[in-house]
Amino acid sequence: MSKVVEISPTTRHEGHSKLVLKVDDAGIIERGDWLSITPVRGVEKLAIGKTMDQVPKIASRVCGICPIAHTLAGIECMEGSIRCEIPTDAKLLRIVLQCANRLHSHALHNILTLPDMYLPGTDTKINPFSPEEPVRSVAKRIVRLREIGQTIGEIAGGEAVHPSNPRVGGLYKACTPRAVQKMYDLAKEALPLAIEQMDFMIAVLRNYQKRDWSEVGGKQIPIPKTLGYHNQGYMASHPMYSSSNLDEHPGWNPERWTDVRPWDWYMGEVEVSLADPSYPIGGTSPVGTKANPQMEACTGVPLYDGAPVEVGPRARMVQFKNYDEKGTIGQQIARQMEYPDCLYTIINALDDYNPSGSVLADCIPQGDGSLGWAANEAPRGCDVHLAKVKDGRVLWYEMLVPTTWNFPTCSRALVGAPWQLAEVVVRGYDPCVSCATHMIVVDDDKRIVAQKLIQ
Amino acid sequence: MGTELGKYKACVSARSTSKEILKKSQDGGIVTQLFAYALEEGIIDGAIVAGPSDEPYRPRPFIATSVEELMTARGTRYNISPNVSWIKEATRSFGLDKVGIVGTPCQMQAVRKGQLYPFGWRDVDSKIALAIGIFCMENFSYQSIKQLVEDHAGVKMESVKKMDIGKGKFWVYTERGATVQLPLKVTHKYEQPGCHVCLDYVANLSDVSTGSVGSPDGWSTVFVRTKNGDDIWSKAIAAGCFETKPIEQVKPGLELVSKLANEKISKNQKTVEERATFGVNKALRNPYIKP
Repeated sequence: MSKVVEISPTTRHEGHSKLVLKVDDAGIIERGDWLSITPVRGVEKLAIGKTMDQVPKIASRVCGICPIAHTLAGIECMEGSIRCEIPTDAKLLRIVLQCANRLHSHALHNILTLPDMYLPGTDTKINPFSPEEPVRSVAKRIVRLREIGQTIGEIAGGEAVHPSNPRVGGLYKACTPRAVQKMYDLAKEALPLAIEQMDFMIAVLRNYQKRDWSEVGGKQIPIPKTLGYHNQGYMASHPMYSSSNLDEHPGWNPERWTDVRPWDWYMGEVEVSLADPSYPIGGTSPVGTKANPQMEACTGVPLYDGAPVEVGPRARMVQFKNYDEKGTIGQQIARQMEYPDCLYTIINALDDYNPSGSVLADCIPQGDGSLGWAANEAPRGCDVHLAKVKDGRVLWYEMLVPTTWNFPTCSRALVGAPWQLAEVVVRGYDPCVSCATHMIVVDDDKRIVAQKLIQ
Repeated sequence: MGTELGKYKACVSARSTSKEILKKSQDGGIVTQLFAYALEEGIIDGAIVAGPSDEPYRPRPFIATSVEELMTARGTRYNISPNVSWIKEATRSFGLDKVGIVGTPCQMQAVRKGQLYPFGWRDVDSKIALAIGIFCMENFSYQSIKQLVEDHAGVKMESVKKMDIGKGKFWVYTERGATVQLPLKVTHKYEQPGCHVCLDYVANLSDVSTGSVGSPDGWSTVFVRTKNGDDIWSKAIAAGCFETKPIEQVKPGLELVSKLANEKISKNQKTVEERATFGVNKALRNPYIKP
């Protein structure tokens, strides 16, 4: 007889989400529902009627961790709709921005994920805020990597958070040779730090993989060798940057995308029948609590070729670099392996960048209402924005952000894990929930969903 | 009044020791020389100054990162140069870490306010390394200065060599040696109305403030105001950048500065008070009184 556990809210990630888990007598998850409970932002509706220059700036406000990815995806889907090619130097600075974003986001995720891990050779969990070595120097390295990522973003993008410099047609301002030099020096400084950080993280993650148990809420929970395994596919549009409908060989296809309502995807009303008050941060929800994932989920469920897919570092590695390790640890390791790539790409882009080149397209068409899309590889995965622009105004706008893609995939990956380790699996996806929250109202059928949720 | 000159650590009459700077400077070449010294010593790595633009005597804020660039901005252009608008960009696409800025008293107020409440100024406030203020009675729009020069003084803008306000007159010197003077009474109606609520003549909030008033021709009066300003100023003196004279020993001296500052403050105080009852039940807020 299966029991129901609810972990609400889940912790150490961005946004608000919860886990509703059906578990067997041994506490192994039979079905897991991971859902966003962050209130709907409504950016897609706000966008309608606004100018194509405004919308990417508004879209970036869904989240402060990867605003760069949202800005760039927003801008590039506008450019895709109006069919505007940007100058090479503008593209290079956008690539620099993209990598800076990925660098500081991955470093932040290290802080969130380390408390689940153990210092190799000991039974001591890592507290990244500890003043003691060896953790202290790791924390300092993380902070410096984040600082460098944000400073490079600030120089190339105008702001560390919510970049002001990118615009439809290119960028407002080019970087001076001095600014390029500064970014270059920062990237050079970060490169050895990033490699050290990658090595450290991989050692810690491999150590976790070899362990038999992990301590959660005072109990030793066995770690299955297949923690976080799933059989879903992977989706990535580009190893580092982005693909759009203007590309000769687009890395994403809107024809293959469909949406399912949360009503059809998540389980219906259940009552919590298993509780553990000793579970970290206040225990799980008490027995008798009603949970209704169908009604509470604030995301649509996007499918690619009719099935949920994983997006993120591992998806990029699988698609473009023949990476094949499954499970939560495999996913985490893929993320660490992206560290040096971010910096090599920044350095190469700055080498190619010409400070006296133009960064704005000579002609910016105003659009005829045709569909444009951009699939930006944000730190957490493929961030697809779609738009239709006519006479400079946005007619239709859609955001399919990384964690939206990952919600159903991660729910499947939970199966087979002890419920106490469900959050470890969730954190492996580096979830960033607030941008993932939106409702899709495409046709009459789906309008009923919206009404149901409002009731 | 006693507070009209603001707080300062020292006041001297000074001029640059560089002939190159003095050749085209307005008075003692203080701003150019101090920025040049700070640039060479690495105290700042760029300065936002009022540089030349496509139109004669229309200033355009620009970021000088070398002494050569700085030299193009020598001399006063009597109209608005929105220097503060470039301060953020200086730390962004220009990649500066230590920014110098020159401005009028109101611009110094903006800089300090930005440092105190850095909304939209992330990583900008800590990068302002030297703020030089210039004495200011009032400012003009470019259209106003053009009308004064071309219509009242009858000189084409292109042939102006230098403009000056001093000894109660507005002076226009031409390339061919002619000098035209206009009584300041003529210029009053061209002043920006916004200047008439300003109660600061000598840039109280700057690190170092300077202007011609109080010193003989070719010299400038310098107030050293902050610890940072004092530090840079004394190093520049030690490096032999400036000739100085004690302000007490020069004519007309601080008395004139005080007199003009008081004149500005009491005149503008009236406008501030008038505005309190301006409009129909919609008094404008007095910016100097807490609501």
